[in-house]
Amino acid sequence: MKNNWWKILAVLLLVFTVVAGMLAEVPRLAILNETIRNLFFHVPMWFGMILILLISVVYSVKYLRNPTIKNDVIAYEAAKVGILFGVLGIITGMEWARFTWGEYWSNDPKQNASAIGLLIYFAYLVLRSSFAEQQQRARISAVYNVFAFAALIPLLFILPRLTDSLHPGNGGNPGFNSYDLDSRLRMVFYPAVIGWTLLGIWIVNIKSRLELLRQRLYENV
Amino acid sequence: MKMFRILAIWCLVLSATLGGGITTTAKAQMTDTEFSVPAAQPDVEMADTLRQDGKIYVVVTVLLSVLGGLIIYLVSIDRKVGKLERQLKDDLVNH
Repeated sequence: MKNNWWKILAVLLLVFTVVAGMLAEVPRLAILNETIRNLFFHVPMWFGMILILLISVVYSVKYLRNPTIKNDVIAYEAAKVGILFGVLGIITGMEWARFTWGEYWSNDPKQNASAIGLLIYFAYLVLRSSFAEQQQRARISAVYNVFAFAALIPLLFILPRLTDSLHPGNGGNPGFNSYDLDSRLRMVFYPAVIGWTLLGIWIVNIKSRLELLRQRLYENV
Repeated sequence: MKMFRILAIWCLVLSATLGGGITTTAKAQMTDTEFSVPAAQPDVEMADTLRQDGKIYVVVTVLLSVLGGLIIYLVSIDRKVGKLERQLKDDLVNH
């Protein structure tokens, strides 16, 4: 039970995010208006995705060094939750874009690159499900996972910055830089990122334990 | 188990205090900081009316309910998995 403190922290941070995210004073900016509050819900999806996928890669590498079922299960479950966060991130991004950029999908470099990144991870799921033999599946998908993560980072953080993009922080767009420094936003934004990420890790934790139980049940039968 | 009970009670207390406390703090804020529009950008639209009417708190309540429901569900799954883990461990010892 002592190991559950971080779950409580996740709940507290999320409650804080919702309350402060709706009620705290935010910068008054044209076009964005109140949608600037999406910063506390859309951006943490992507931060959470990256961190959870990083966990997945770490366990994939661990699997390659030490092939245990546990390492494989955690890598797989973390990848799935990371993908869920990414899908939520892209959907919330589209909703936000509709009312600030004018269209759900404007083929913006950031949008296209994140779509490609997600497709690479969908391929991970397809690849994984195409092996019948457990060790082969675990080893090959672990190798693919490392490459997928290595492809995702430049797709999200480097390529969009080389061209013009509407998305803040990319191209010639100063975007959130001017008010990222705004302490009012930071006060809610950082707790939001930690809270949402911990929630994702919690889901990974439960799903991995369940999957390990299932595997042990089959062993015993 | 004790941890979860503490968490549940904490959530309940928090929601109760928020429900009662928010309206009073809001009124206090209204007069000083909340609506002091910076002189530089006076015509940027924000949801001031929403806050004056107090209706933004309805949104916060709804969001908290959704979040609370999801978290309670997650906690119950967590406990079920924990119970299964303990049962399986007992089975292995007995065999």
